[in-house]
Amino acid sequence: MNSNLFSLAWRETTRSAYWGKSIATNIGLGFLAVYFAVSFLLLGLAIPEILTKKFSEAEAVSKLNSILLAYFAIDLIMRQLLQKLPTVSFKPLLLQNIRRPQIANYLMVRSVLNFFNLLPFFLFLPVTILLVGNSHSGLATTSWFLSVFILVFSNHFLAIYLKWRFNEAEYGFFILLAGLAGLFAINHFGIVDLSGGLGKLLDLILIYPALAIVLIILPVLIYFLNVRFLLSRMFVNLVSEKQKAEKVSDYSWLNNLGETGRFIALDLRLIWRNKRPRSTAMMTLIMFLYGFMIYRDQPGKELPEFVFIMGGIILVGMFSISYGQFFPAWHSNYFSMLMCQRLKMKQFLLSFYMLVTVVSVACYFITLPYALMHTKVIYTHLAMLLYNLGINIPIIFFIGLYSKKRLDLNGSSVMNYQGVGASQWLGGLPLMIGPIGLFYLFQLGFGTVGGYIGLGLMGLIGILFHSVIIEYFAKLYLKKKHELIKNYKNS
Amino acid sequence: MIQIQDLIKAYNKEIVLNIPELNIEKGEIFGLVGNNGAGKTTMFNLVLDLITASKGQVISKGINVRESEDWKDFTGAFIDETFLIGYLTAEEYFGFIAGLRKMSKTETADFIAGFADFFNGEITGKKKFIRDFSKGNQKKVGIVAALMGKPEVIVLDEPFANLDPSSQYKLRKLIKDFAAQNGTTFLISDHTLENIADVSTRLIILEKGKIVRDVPKTETTLQEIEAFFRPVVEADIY
Repeated sequence: MNSNLFSLAWRETTRSAYWGKSIATNIGLGFLAVYFAVSFLLLGLAIPEILTKKFSEAEAVSKLNSILLAYFAIDLIMRQLLQKLPTVSFKPLLLQNIRRPQIANYLMVRSVLNFFNLLPFFLFLPVTILLVGNSHSGLATTSWFLSVFILVFSNHFLAIYLKWRFNEAEYGFFILLAGLAGLFAINHFGIVDLSGGLGKLLDLILIYPALAIVLIILPVLIYFLNVRFLLSRMFVNLVSEKQKAEKVSDYSWLNNLGETGRFIALDLRLIWRNKRPRSTAMMTLIMFLYGFMIYRDQPGKELPEFVFIMGGIILVGMFSISYGQFFPAWHSNYFSMLMCQRLKMKQFLLSFYMLVTVVSVACYFITLPYALMHTKVIYTHLAMLLYNLGINIPIIFFIGLYSKKRLDLNGSSVMNYQGVGASQWLGGLPLMIGPIGLFYLFQLGFGTVGGYIGLGLMGLIGILFHSVIIEYFAKLYLKKKHELIKNYKNS
Repeated sequence: MIQIQDLIKAYNKEIVLNIPELNIEKGEIFGLVGNNGAGKTTMFNLVLDLITASKGQVISKGINVRESEDWKDFTGAFIDETFLIGYLTAEEYFGFIAGLRKMSKTETADFIAGFADFFNGEITGKKKFIRDFSKGNQKKVGIVAALMGKPEVIVLDEPFANLDPSSQYKLRKLIKDFAAQNGTTFLISDHTLENIADVSTRLIILEKGKIVRDVPKTETTLQEIEAFFRPVVEADIY
């Protein structure tokens, strides 16, 4: 029966119109996978060397054990951001002779087949062989290795469980971050030595290998927690819940802005009332904090220029990138209706342009305080703001012409996790890498400040000609409309 | 009003619609019946330029729908629920369409108020998004939105499906009255022969993409088309 479900999943992916057509996404993901695998392998090879330089081999292992908890914490966050949840459209299955637990177990088993569970092997295999194996017996080494992997899979199931929970309550992720920060503080200020605790446990396993068996309780427990959760959600009524009165906010003042205002009002309602675009918008808010991470001073070192370009594009342009990479698929559900109305394609594009412009300018001013850390942010961000509006948005329009996949906006239903994986981030890559490359090109000719002026000027030209550009794309979109309608229908 | 010339739609060489010639006059309520896969929705999608024809053209009021977008000025349509914007309330949706059709606020309110009986108190005045409506109520929203701005051509694909019996009767009257008042050309398809025979002034039966009957409505039209669709086996028994 399970194999039946697997073949169903296979067909679902291979038969969607999306499959095979987005080679760029697959290449991008493949590249990332190889990159991470190689980095982990190199790290795995380096760790034994670094540790044995300072400590004796036995000490080195116990030192490693004592910092593993930090690894798992970071792993948990990364999984939250990048790991994809297994899905199944369970509704047609409910009436068939398949028991609910079977569907739940299937989902859990399928979730294990994930790159994030393969990645740790690249790290821990060399460490086990080169470090642990050198100073411990074969049995002890094996049980240490097993213990680590039991912990990896516990983390996997925990990540999935949390992700399912967070999908219902969006603020969950922030609670997790706060919780982890709290644990970090407790650990850091020595109130309870958490990471030392895990370290001691692993040390103990090296002495008494049989103890590893006890650890198995952990993933099993979390596994059943998951299954219990899934079983409680596998009912049709929960999919189309929310019959209660909705909070309906009024955007009619925007109608005063004419045709464009009407579409901006539609966009705002789209963002506010649907889970998927809402979390995209929330991402913009979180990203405001990103500046603290990348603009942090490193003692004795100047920050390289690409950091400022990256920072500018992310802090100022995050909204346009994350919201824009799915343009016009946000409107895919009713795209054929729009194509029957007497709306001008130009207005449709223009309203998106206006929305992004307003938000980006707002982002510029909100992130301006980073100038307190680095004064040059004032002009680097300005250059990136102009570049974003003048160059990146036309690129977004261009990418949108080839949009294939219908977006399921009502992401609040339990089994819909479309687009919460790594591929979601990929679309933005060319938009971020492009300006960095251009900058270094300009820098060669005109120096550092000249580089920023170059980017800014390019953007300014794009902004000045925006109506010509939009007119041009409006024509292209009209030409492509049948293809877009077809793609949205088949995905 | 609408001329169809040499229209052929084929997928991978399989012809799903083939209409050599068809003229729909102004003010006609044009009823389209046919079994599943007969090509009804395909034909409507071609009239609305939502798919491209393999050959031939649709001319709406002198405009080739493939070449100009001006037909949108006088055409309203409801094909299926993908024509609705799920995250709006019914009022917001009507307001959005009204804006596109250049109707003022008071005009819109008056227009919508005219459908109070059809809505049966379940559509307007609710703080509920269209995505949470029942199928039948979603259909009502879509149909009324298609009528907004009193377009000269209105295309409705299976408007009676999913409606409760009394709403079906109301819709029949609504379409006939609307056409009588505004001289609208309706293109309607449906599977309930009784409904379609009642509202239409002209009936067409499509089979495997071809027009097999084209008759003006008379007293006996209903019996005629019922006879057409009744399986032969049944006739043998009696």
